[in-house]
Formats: sequence, C-alpha cells, structure tokens
Amino acid sequence: MSPAKPENFQPERAQPEDTGKPGWKEAVKGFFFERLGLDGVAALAAHKRVPIHSRSLFYFLGGMALFLFGIQVVTGILLSLYYKPSPDQAFESVRAIVTEVDFGWLFRSIHSWSANLLIGVLFLHILTTYIMRAYRRPREFTWLTGMALLGVFMTFGFSGYLLPWNQLAFFATKVGTAIANSVPVVGKYLLLMARGGEEVTGDTLARFYALHVVILPLSVLALVGGHLFLVQKHEMSVPEDMIKKYGSAKKAPSMPFVPHFLLRDMVGWYLALGVLAALAALFPWELGQKADPFSSAPPGIKPEWYFLFMFQALKHLPGQLFGIEWLEGEVVGVLFFGLLGLMVLLVPFLDRGAATGRPRRVLNFFAVLTVVFFLYMTAWGVLEKPAQEQPAKTPQTTADSPEGPPVKGTP
Amino acid sequence: MSDSFPRRSWLARCLGGGIAATLAALFYPVAKFLRPRAATSSGALEMVAPYRMDQLKPDAEGRWPSPFNFGGKPCLLILVDGEPRAINAVCTHVQCTVEYRAATQDIFCNCHNGLYDINGRNIAGPPPRPLEVYQAVKGSGKPGQEEIIVSRKA
Amino acid sequence: MNKLLSLLTPALLLVCSRIRRAKAHPTAALLLLVSALLLVWAVLPGSAAAEDAKLPPGKPAEPKMPAIEIKSIPDADNYCIQCHTQLDTGDPKDQKFHIPLESLKNDVHWQKGVRCQDCHGGDPSVQEIKAHQANDDFRAIKSPTDIPNFCGRCHSNIEYMRHFNPSPRTDQLAEYWTSGHGKKLKKGDPQVATCISCHDQPHGNAIDLKPHGIRPVNEPASPVYHTKVAQTCSKCHSDQKLMAGRLYKDKPLPCDEYAKWSKSVHGEALLKKGDLSAPTCNNCHGNHGAAPPQMDSVANACGSCHGKIGRLFAETKMRHKFEKEGLPGCATCHSNHEIRKPSDDLLGMQNGTFCARCHEEGKEKHGATLAGAKAAETIHADLEHLKNGIHEADKTLTEAEEKGMEVSEPKFHLQKASDSLTNARTQIHSFKVNVVQTALADGEKVVKEVQGKADHALEEYQYRRYWLAISLVPILMVIGLLILYIRAMPIPEKPVDS
Repeated sequence: MSPAKPENFQPERAQPEDTGKPGWKEAVKGFFFERLGLDGVAALAAHKRVPIHSRSLFYFLGGMALFLFGIQVVTGILLSLYYKPSPDQAFESVRAIVTEVDFGWLFRSIHSWSANLLIGVLFLHILTTYIMRAYRRPREFTWLTGMALLGVFMTFGFSGYLLPWNQLAFFATKVGTAIANSVPVVGKYLLLMARGGEEVTGDTLARFYALHVVILPLSVLALVGGHLFLVQKHEMSVPEDMIKKYGSAKKAPSMPFVPHFLLRDMVGWYLALGVLAALAALFPWELGQKADPFSSAPPGIKPEWYFLFMFQALKHLPGQLFGIEWLEGEVVGVLFFGLLGLMVLLVPFLDRGAATGRPRRVLNFFAVLTVVFFLYMTAWGVLEKPAQEQPAKTPQTTADSPEGPPVKGTP
Repeated sequence: MSDSFPRRSWLARCLGGGIAATLAALFYPVAKFLRPRAATSSGALEMVAPYRMDQLKPDAEGRWPSPFNFGGKPCLLILVDGEPRAINAVCTHVQCTVEYRAATQDIFCNCHNGLYDINGRNIAGPPPRPLEVYQAVKGSGKPGQEEIIVSRKA
Repeated sequence: MNKLLSLLTPALLLVCSRIRRAKAHPTAALLLLVSALLLVWAVLPGSAAAEDAKLPPGKPAEPKMPAIEIKSIPDADNYCIQCHTQLDTGDPKDQKFHIPLESLKNDVHWQKGVRCQDCHGGDPSVQEIKAHQANDDFRAIKSPTDIPNFCGRCHSNIEYMRHFNPSPRTDQLAEYWTSGHGKKLKKGDPQVATCISCHDQPHGNAIDLKPHGIRPVNEPASPVYHTKVAQTCSKCHSDQKLMAGRLYKDKPLPCDEYAKWSKSVHGEALLKKGDLSAPTCNNCHGNHGAAPPQMDSVANACGSCHGKIGRLFAETKMRHKFEKEGLPGCATCHSNHEIRKPSDDLLGMQNGTFCARCHEEGKEKHGATLAGAKAAETIHADLEHLKNGIHEADKTLTEAEEKGMEVSEPKFHLQKASDSLTNARTQIHSFKVNVVQTALADGEKVVKEVQGKADHALEEYQYRRYWLAISLVPILMVIGLLILYIRAMPIPEKPVDS
C-alpha cells in the first residue's frame, strides 16, 4: 500500500470478497484522484489533528461558523430567486416568499435565524481564540483575517436587515447610518456613501443589496480562503499549558481530524440544524409593516442585538461631555468604539508576552472589562422600555363607521 | 476490536442511511421552493382581470360585475365604446366602494349619493376628488372573449 | 316725460334731414342743435329712479327696472371718494361717514368699477360739503329697511347685471321677501338681517351699518363662504338679547342652533375636517329665502344629500304617521341641529334608543305599535350579529397575518361584508325587518367564507409547527447514530512523526 493511502481512518468493513482486487468504489476514487490532484488534499486530511484538552469544545466553533455560513449561502440563493430589491417591490416580494412560495416561510425564517446564530458563534469564536491565546506567533494573520471576517459578517447583518423594507428595518438603518455622520472629518462622506444619498431611499436598498449579495460574498470567499489556508498551514494551535505539560506541541494528545473530529463536528451541525428548525417553527420571523419613510420612527427603535451594545452606549452618552462644548458625545462615542475595534484587531501585537508565555494580566483585565461592558450594554438595550409607550394603534375594524369604512393602510 | 467490527458496519450503514435521508428531506422543500408559483395578486401593478370582455355586462338583476382586487384595492372594470376601462372603486369622500350604473352610464356611491362620470371625474355630491383611472388593455383570447390586462404605473 | 322726448328727438332729426336736403338754411341748423340737446338730455343718467328715495322707510315697494347706465369718471375727479375717504371734520358725529379706502378696495363692487354714485346716486363732481338729501338723485339709506331695495335695484336688474356676469342670478331679492327676515322687515322691524348683515365685512349686522367691504361669496374671506356661514348666522341667532321675545310660528327662537350644529357630525365635518360637502345653515334653510323647512319637507331637506334614505323613508308608514302627528320627519329621531354620528346602539328597544322613545311598552306615544318595537329589536339584533361576525373574522385574519400567513385575499373580501353592513344601516329607514335582513344576507355569507379562510390559515400555521416538530425526530436520530458511531471508533494513537 502506498504511504499516500492512509488506512487508519477507513472503518473496516466486512468485504463480500476480500480478493485484493480493487472494487468499483476504489476505481471511481482513483479516477478523480488522478485527474484533480487530490492526493495533496488526502494527505492533509490524514495529517490534520485536533488537540484534546479541557477546552477542546472551542475548536468546534470555527467549523460551526462555516456550516452556518453555508446555510446562509444556500438559503440566501433560494431567497434571491424571488426577492426584488426595489422600495415598491421589496416588502411585497418578501411577503410573497413567506405566504405564496412553497416553504418560502421556512427558508426565510432559517435565513434570518441562522444569521443571528452565525454572528453569535463568531463572537464566541473570537472570545475562545483569545482565551486560548491561539493568535500567538505565527498565527497573527489568522487573527487579522478573522477580524476582517467579523467586520464583513456584521456588515452582512446590517445590510441584510434592510432588505425586507419594513418599518423596523427602514428606521434601524436610518438611525444606524446616521451614526456614521459622527465620525470626525469623513463622517458626512461616509453617510452619503452608505446611504447612496442624503436619506435612506431606493438607492440605499440597491447598494445594500449589492453589498449583501455580491461584494461581501466575494470578500468572504477571499478572506475565508486565506483564513482556512493559514489554519491548515499552521495547524491547530495547542494551548501553552498543554505544551508545557507534554514538552512540545506535537507530543500533546490529539485526535485525527478525519474522521473523528469531523464526526463530532457533524453532531454539532445536526444539532444546529435542529435548533434552526425549531426556531423557524416556534419563532417565525415576522413580516412587519411596509416601510413608510414619511412616518415617524417606531418608538424604541433599535438595531439587531449584535450592534446593540454600541447603540445603547451612544444613545446614553450626553450631548456634550463634561459640559465642554466641542466634546460631542456621539463623536467621542464613535471614536471610542473605533479605538476599541483597533485594540481588538491588534491583540496579537499587544500581547507582548505571547511568545515567552508570560501572563497577560493587563490585557486580560481589559478583555474582561470589554466582555462585561458588551454583556451589560446588550442586556440594557434589550430590556430598556421605549421612552413614551404610545398606545398601540389597533387596526380599526371596518365595522365601526356607519358612514363607510375608515381609511385603512395598505394590507 | 472484533466486537465492534460487525457493530460498526451496521452502524455505518444506518448512519449513512440516516444522513442520506435527512439530505433527501432537505431536498424536497428546496425543490418545491424552486417551482414557479401561480401569478400573484399581492401588490401587483399588472394583472389579468377576473372578467373577460364578454363578461362585462349587467347580470340578471341589472347589476354590473362588482369590483375586483387590484393591488389590495377594489377596481371597477367598465366598457367605454367597446373598450375596457379600469377605475379605482374607492370613493374619495369616505372610502365606500362605488358601483357602476350601466343604465345611466355613471359611477355612483351609495353612501352619500356621490356621482362620478365614466372618466372618474367627480360630478355631483360630496366626493372631493376624481377616481384614479388605470390602464386596461385587451389581451389574448377569442374575439369577443379576450382577457383584460389591468395595470398601473408605480 | 322722457318717453315723449325720446320720441320727439328722432322726429325732429327726420325733419332736419329733410330740410337739409332741400338746401338748408338757419332753421335747419337751429332744429339740429335743439334735437342734439334733447338727445343729450335724454341720455343723461340719474333722471330715472329719483322716485325711489322719496318712499318713507318701513314701507318698501317693488323696485322698478329702469335702464341703469354705466358712466365712469376718474377717481381723482370723484369727490364722493375724495371727501368720504379722507376728510375729517373733527366732529365725532361725522365719524360714521368716514369710509376707509382699503375697505373699499376689497369690495367686489369697487373692483368691478362700480363707484359711489352708481349705488348712492348723487353728483360726484360736487366739491362742497352739503346735505346730500338736497340732491334729488341721492339715494339715502335712512334705516335698515331700505337696504334690500337699495341692493336689489341693481341685483334684480338682469340687463344691468349682465354687464358683469353673462348668466346672473337676479332672484335674491324676490327670495328675500319670502324669508323670515324679509317678512319681518316688510312689517317694519329694522332688527332683522338684511343684505349687508351677512355679506359685508366686518360682519355688520342690522343694527350696525358699516358696509363697503363686500367680497365675492366664493372667496374664503367672505362672511358667507361655506365654512363661515354658520358663524355669520350665529352672530344674531346665538345672541340671546337679540333673539329675546322673537317668535316663529308662535314658538320662541332658541339660541343654541350654532352650538348644537358645531357639535354635530355635519359641523365637525365642515369645521374640523374641512369637508366642503358638509351642510351648513343655508343648505337646509336656504340663503336669501332663509326659513326653516316645514315638518313635511324636513325629509326633503335631508334627502337632498341622503337620497337613498330619503327615498326609503318616503315610502314608509312611519312617514305618514309623522306627518299626521306633526313630527318633523328625520329630525324626530336624529334631531335638527345636533345630528350626531349614529351608532347601532340607537336602534332597538334598549335604554337610550330612538325607537324606545315612542315604542316603549305601556307608554306608547303618537300611536306607536308593539309590532314596531319587535321589529326594532329584531333589526338591532341582526345588525349586531353581522357586526360581531365581521369583527371576529377581522381579528382572526389579523392574528393569521401577524403569524405570517397569506390572508390578503380574504381581507379584501371582508370589505364586502362591511359594505353590506353600511347598506343595511341605510335600509333601516324602511323600518321593515325583511328588507334589512336581505341587505345583511350577503354580508353574512361573506363573513362565513372569510372566517373559514382565516381559521384555515391559522390551522395551516399550526400544521407547519407540527411538521417541523416531526422533522426533529430524524435529526435527533441521526445525531444519536453519530454519537454511537463515534463511540464505536476510539481515537487511535498518534502515528510516529514522519
């Protein structure tokens, strides 16, 4: 047997005739291997191992994110066959998907829920990578591409949120893009670029659609390609304590990626599928009301949860900090978050003791602070009741007026 | 390992079967999703009216065919010199549904005696504004039984 | 006298021409001059209606229709204007003769070129201040009773009005004499509304003569613009002191009409919503012939807009009963001025309904019957049934819609049921149970269909959740199998590093 043909990952099967002659399965495999140069892939697959330790569960998160992204691509493609990205057709087309197309409601709900799950998984992935200090040399670029991917996926979320063109989406986008205005110097330009104009209009929708369906997917392709390449190249990172315990990274206990880890990955993927199905069934994503640019924003308008911590902080910053006129609250807030993002981006370089294994007390302190801040702000944003609860306008039943039915909004 | 040997193969087969089944189960909704659906009337700016040319006439009790759903609003379909014409049927006064009176060739609102002419112009009674007229053209079909396509600009 | 002259002049001219042809001489020239002078004199304005000003106040007669000529002179040479807009004698008693030019310029008459002398007569070239009454042509207004004829002099003259409007209305004065105001004025009462009480600005009333700012009726600034009419009428009709002691058909005049009307559905439609189709005082009472509609014509007044209901009511026994009992038609139930938006609670025999006012058992009034009471109850119950049906269907539809189900078609269809309900409410005025039930039947059918569709939509929603739960079973099974398979595959030792 050639060394390139690994045996220890093939489950032994009782062959009907163990004659040594290659069966049809081997013939098919050989056909593709020869032409597509899959020997290298097979070698990698055989070689790749995943460390086993108390925090091994963290290693599932990357694959989970990839799986959820795959779901997004598939459901997204399906939705794009029926969605029409124009202000007078967007809402109606989503309504048609949800009510008229077979299983449209299912794919739409899965797409929306999976987006939220994906970003949650990404947050956890970053957090756990930080905990395990997996960004240590030579994996700094893995971290950088990962951070870029986080930015791309949050943009995915923001752009996708507008597409159904309902009241919540419209005003959340209006408020969200308005924050861009607070960036000093380039703020106005950023706003115009984001909105495609002064206000949120059909141009904004077109732009967001292009982002969501073309620009960002291509960016993901490039970035994930690079990210995965680096992950394979540098192999899975082994935590420092394991290295210390076993002498070297190679000696630390591990399991083969194929098939052991992959099977465990599949358990996770099926679990995610079940969770998504349950969410789609029990908490279907609502249609809402068609966006009316001339109405006032619904009370308590806020962005999706993954932006909430920033939004909440900006909302509650005073107009002028410390009473100083030029220290505008929003500008300071935006700069603060910009700085925070930069710090997170540069963690591999800020962690001076990474190479030598020195504990990172200062960094840990700030990390804990950031996580607590994130959790607190998000919780506050979720739980805060809008300032003036307007009495809910119950749709007038047509039975009331004897003169004739009152004017009803578009159904 | 001999114990797990037959067990593993049986398991492998079950597992393979299970995975295949779930994939097939996923394939079914996707396939149905991709099938083109019937023409929708929701928010449509163009649709085929539910009346053909030969159905545009008063019934046994002298009533003209009632308004149909055009983009969520009632729409009247009348005949003017043999050509179809589509007019919004929501009275501009207090939004009652108007009706076409073939005998007097006008459009009448029952609620407060509002009157419009066949161009939708408000000519008597309380309505303050005319009714919007949409485009109606004859589509395909046998002569005299053509279908009618109603549309409006965005 | 004038007629004689106008006949004489052409005769003289004829004679002159004959003489001229026969190689004229001084006689002809003299005759020509005389005829020219006569011609000029005959044409001179002001020689016609001098008789009118001589009538004593309080006894106005029908105005004649003399030919009114238009002759304009520049304003700078018009001393009526020059004195009355500028001169200040210093005597406070003369203040009432001061007429501001701005006020005049807003007046529609001024804008059409009509000047002081065209209405008041007199000679605008006279520069001295002297008593105008001395002038024969001057048409003074000594009391409010002079006003209708003063205005009517032109406004009833078709030939004159045609200068300004090809199709003029000239019946206002005739109408006025038939009105409550006009009749009182004829009897000599000066404290009633005359032309300027309503048409002038600031709304002068019969007491305070301050005219000269009359705007066209279709201008929003006019006191008789559609939205302002009620206010103008109420200037007198809400004034308790003014209305005290006045009777119409032996009944004292109430002063609450405006207050009541402004709270009514018509008043709110006009004043709050700006709906110009809503009726105000003149739509039911008339403009110049203002008088309350009689008992039998109340239904006609209301029926001019509420046509269908008027026609239904006209054929009922109730209408004849009302007439016999002297009840005011529609206003018997709906009141005359304070017409509120009717609700279904006003129908039937429960507390506070219109029907119970007369049909109450044991206390029947005006010949009301028990059969009528039963009919009222049945009609009310049937209406409520459809109303509740629509409400329920709508609720279910909204629930389904919020759950993301497709219900736009049933929602549209439900509108038909509401139309049916509106129609049934109109048909109530036939006071016949079977008529109302026929009107409701369509709606009931629609409600049934729509409710069915709405329930089906909710079922479909549940059905989806059920099937999704079922789909979790194979997923869990696969997960279980995976776990078993993993357990059956222990992690091998690492191969020796190659």
